Amino acid sequence: MGTGDIEERHGRPGALRARGGVGGHVGAPHSVGIRLERLSKRFHHRVQGEVYAARDVSLAVAPGEFVTLLGPSGCGKTTTLRMIAGFETPDAGRVFIGDEDVTALLANRRHLGFVFQNYALFPHLTVFENVAYGLRVQGRTAAEITRMVGDVLTLVGLQGYDRQFPQQLSGGEQQRVALARAIVIRPRVLLFDEPLSNLDAQLRVRMRAEIRALQQALSITAVYVTHDQEEAMAISDRIAVMSRGSIVQEGSAETLYARPASEFVARFIGRVNLVSARVVAVGVDTVEVEVAGQRVRAVAAAQPAVGDKVRVVVRPETVELAPAGSLGPAGTVVARTFLGEKVEYQVRVGDETLQVTRPGGAADARFAPGGAVTVRLPADGVGLLRDDA
Amino acid sequence: MLWACLALFVLFPLAALVARAFFEGGRFAPGALASVLRDPNHLRAFGNSVLLGVLVAVASTVLGFLFAFTAVRGGLPRAWTGVLEATALLPLISPPFTTAIAIIFSFGPRGLVTWHLLGLKGVSVYGLASTFAAETLTYFPIAYLTLKPVLAALDPNVEDMAFSLGSSRARVFRTVTLPLTVPGLGNAFLLVFAASLADFATPLILGGNDFPVLPTQAYLQITGLFDFKGGAVLSFVLLVPAFAVLLLQRAWVGRRYYVTVSGKAGAQTAAKSVAAWARWPLLAGCLVVTVVIAWFYALLAYASLVVALGANHAWTAVHYRVIFSEGVKAIRDTLVIAGLGMPLGGLYGILLGYLVARKVFLGRRAMELVSMVNYALPGTIVGIAYLIAFNDPPLVLTGTALIIVACYVFRYSPTGIRTTVALLQQIDPGLEEASASLGAGSATTFRRVTLPLIVPAFFAGLGVVFIRSMTAISATIFLISINWTLITVRILENMTELSLGPAAAFSMLVVAIVVVVMAALSRLLRQFRTPGRVMVASLLGG
Repeated sequence: MGTGDIEERHGRPGALRARGGVGGHVGAPHSVGIRLERLSKRFHHRVQGEVYAARDVSLAVAPGEFVTLLGPSGCGKTTTLRMIAGFETPDAGRVFIGDEDVTALLANRRHLGFVFQNYALFPHLTVFENVAYGLRVQGRTAAEITRMVGDVLTLVGLQGYDRQFPQQLSGGEQQRVALARAIVIRPRVLLFDEPLSNLDAQLRVRMRAEIRALQQALSITAVYVTHDQEEAMAISDRIAVMSRGSIVQEGSAETLYARPASEFVARFIGRVNLVSARVVAVGVDTVEVEVAGQRVRAVAAAQPAVGDKVRVVVRPETVELAPAGSLGPAGTVVARTFLGEKVEYQVRVGDETLQVTRPGGAADARFAPGGAVTVRLPADGVGLLRDDA
Repeated sequence: MLWACLALFVLFPLAALVARAFFEGGRFAPGALASVLRDPNHLRAFGNSVLLGVLVAVASTVLGFLFAFTAVRGGLPRAWTGVLEATALLPLISPPFTTAIAIIFSFGPRGLVTWHLLGLKGVSVYGLASTFAAETLTYFPIAYLTLKPVLAALDPNVEDMAFSLGSSRARVFRTVTLPLTVPGLGNAFLLVFAASLADFATPLILGGNDFPVLPTQAYLQITGLFDFKGGAVLSFVLLVPAFAVLLLQRAWVGRRYYVTVSGKAGAQTAAKSVAAWARWPLLAGCLVVTVVIAWFYALLAYASLVVALGANHAWTAVHYRVIFSEGVKAIRDTLVIAGLGMPLGGLYGILLGYLVARKVFLGRRAMELVSMVNYALPGTIVGIAYLIAFNDPPLVLTGTALIIVACYVFRYSPTGIRTTVALLQQIDPGLEEASASLGAGSATTFRRVTLPLIVPAFFAGLGVVFIRSMTAISATIFLISINWTLITVRILENMTELSLGPAAAFSMLVVAIVVVVMAALSRLLRQFRTPGRVMVASLLGG
C-alpha cells in the first residue's frame, strides 16, 4: 500500500503541517526494521498461577512500515510493545532493531520513541521543556534545542504553546506534545500504546490521520497497539491480530477482512455472518461449497475434502436481496434498521439469521419486516473456515 | 545509614526506657511497676487520663462533625466557610498553653468573666471541667480535618438517590450520610483520644492538684523528684493505652473505609441534605465556638498589651520589651533549633518516603513502621526516653541542641514521609518510563523527573517540622538545658511564676511567626505542578 493510497483514504494529507523541509529536520536519517523472535513473557497471577502474557511472538516489521498489534484487552499486545521498548524484559526470545540484538539493552539505550496511552507528560515542565527533555539528555546545545523543539512543535501544529503546562492543554493537544516529544529525538522506531483511547470519537479519527501522515512524512518504522479494529485498519500497512498472548493472523486490512483465518479474526474485524456449508467440489486454489442450496466459490487456506462440513465467511454488505420467488435461497426479513447511508437487515434463511447491509438508496433497501425475500450470496470470493477452526 | 539513624533515635531510646522501667542493676525487676500500680495517686492519674481522653474525644468529634458538616454540606457562602476554616486552624498552630491561659484570664479567680462580670469570689478554675473545655477547643480541629475529606468524598448523588426514593432529610441523614461517615467518626475519635492522652501542657496548667493525669505525673516525677525510674514506669503505663489506640485505629479504619467516589464524578449536584432554614442554626452552632476562640485570642493579645490583666488595664509594651530582652535567648534558640530541624526533617521525610514507596528491599515494612513510632507515641514518653537514653555514655547528648533537633526530626517527619508516599503513588510510573525511552538513565530520571515531583513533600515536611518546633513542648520539656531553651518552655515558666503578661506576649509571637511561615509555605506549594495538591493546613491534623 503506497503513500498515495493513504492520502486518498484520509483525504487530508495536509492536516499535519508536514511538508518537505520541516520533515527533513526531524525525520530519521534512515529507517530500520524490527524483528521479534519467539518472545515470551510470563506473569504470576494470584488465581491462575503462571500466565503467559505473550507466548512465542514472532514478527518482522520492514523499515518504514506501519504495523498494528490488534486484539482485545489482555491479549498481550501491550506487553509485546513494552518488550520492544525495553520496559519489560522477555522471559524468552529476542528483540532486534535493525540488525542489532537489543534484548539485553536498557530502555534508555534503545533510542526509540514511545507514545503512552495517558501521554505521560511531565507535569512540572512546560511544553517546551517536555519536548526538549530528550535533547537535553543527549547534551545538545541550547541553540540546537531551541531550533529542533521549535521545528517539531510547528510540525505537530503547536507553535506558540511553548510556555504552557500540560494541564492547561486539551487532550488532543497533550497527545501532540507526547508525539512531538517522542519524534524530536529522531528515534529509530516509533512505538504507540493505544495513544488515542483517551480522546473523543471525532478527535480520534482526526488524530489517527495525522499520526499516519506524520509517520509517512518521516518515513519511520512504527508499531502501534490498539483494540479498535477500525483504527487499526485506517492507520496501518499491516495488522497483526493477537489473542491470548499469540499472534493469530497478520496481513493487510483487506486480507484480514476478506480472508480471516479463524472465527476469532473474522468476528474481531468487522461484522460477519458465519454460515454452515458443505464442500461439493475441490479445485486448485478454490473450493465450491453449497450454502442454503446455493453454490458458491470460496478461497480456502487448507484443502478440505468433498463432503466436509465447513463455514463460510459472508460479510453483510456482500449479500444482496431480491423479491421473493427469484432464483436463490428464500428468506424472511426479521428486522430492518434504517441508518441513513445504509440499511441493516436481519434475514432468516433456514435455521440461520443473516446480517445484511445495503446502501440506503439501493433498490433492495426497502423490504419491510415480515416480508419474504430471496437472498443472493456473492458468487465467489467468500472466505472459508474449517468447522473445527 | 537510615537504619542506623532509626535505630539510634527511635529504637534505642525506647529500649532504654523499657530497660529503666523493668531492670534493676541488670536484673529483671518488675517490682517497680507493681508498686506504681499500687500507688492510689498514680492509679487515679491513669483513670483521669482515660476519662479525660474519652470526654475530650467525644466532644471534639461532635464539634468536628458539626464544623465539617456545616462547611461541606451547609451550602454556605465562601466567606463563611473561610471563617470556619480559620477557626479550626488557629488552635492547631498555637503554642499549647494559649487556650489554658485564656481560660484563666476569663474564668480564673480574678477572671474577666468570673470576677469582673459576675463578681464571683474564690472561684477555682482548676480541675476536670476546665481541662476538658480547653482540650476540646484545642483538639476538635483534628476531628474537623479528619471528617471534612470524608464528608466531601460522599457523592451527593447518593443522597439525591435517597431523596428520590422518598426519604425525608432527617432520614437521609440518619440512613445514608451518617452511616457512611462512621469510619471517619471512629478515626477522629481515636486521633483526638490519643492527642488528649498525650497532652501535657493543658493539664499541667489547668489540672491543678485535684486532677493529676499520667503525663503530668511523669513530668513531676522527673523534674520534681529526679526519679527517672518512676518517670520511666509511668510513661510505660501511658504506653499501654497509646498502643491500644494505635492498634484499634489500624484495625478499625483499615477495614471499614467506604469509598463512594467513583472514577467519573457524577453530575455535579448541589447538596440538598440541609434544608435552607437548617443552615443557619448549624452555622450559629459553629459561630459560638468561633466566638469563644476569637475571644480567647483577642484576650491573649489584649493581655500582652496591658500591665496586668484583671488588675491594671493600662496600655504598655513592657511585656514585649521583656520577651525581646530577657526572652531573646529563648527566641533565638527556638529559631536555631527549628531552622536546623527544618531541612533535616524535610530531607529525611522524602528520602524515607521514596525508599518505602519505590524501592523493594528487605525490612521495608519494618522501616516504615519504625519511622512512625516516635510520631505515634505521646510526647512525654519520647521525651523521657531520650532523656534516659542520652544522659549517660555511650552517647551523651543531654544539654545539646542536637538532642532537641533529633527529637523534632524523628517525631514530626512522618508527615513528610506520608506526603512523599502519597505523591509518589499518584505519579504515573509511565513518567519514569517516558524519561527512560527518551534516553535518560535512572539517575537522570530521578533527578529531573521524580525529585521535582516530590519537592512539595519536602517543603510540606519541613514546614510541619518548623511549626511543631515552634509550638511543641511535651517531649522537649525534658530535653532543654541552660544552654538551649525554647519559647514554649519559657511560656510555661512564666505561667508558673504567674507573670502572665510575658506568657501572653510569647504566645502571640509564636502565633505570628507560625502564621507567616504557613502563609509563605502555602504560597510556595501552590507554585508546584504535581498531580496531588499538598496543603500544609491539612497536614497538621495528626
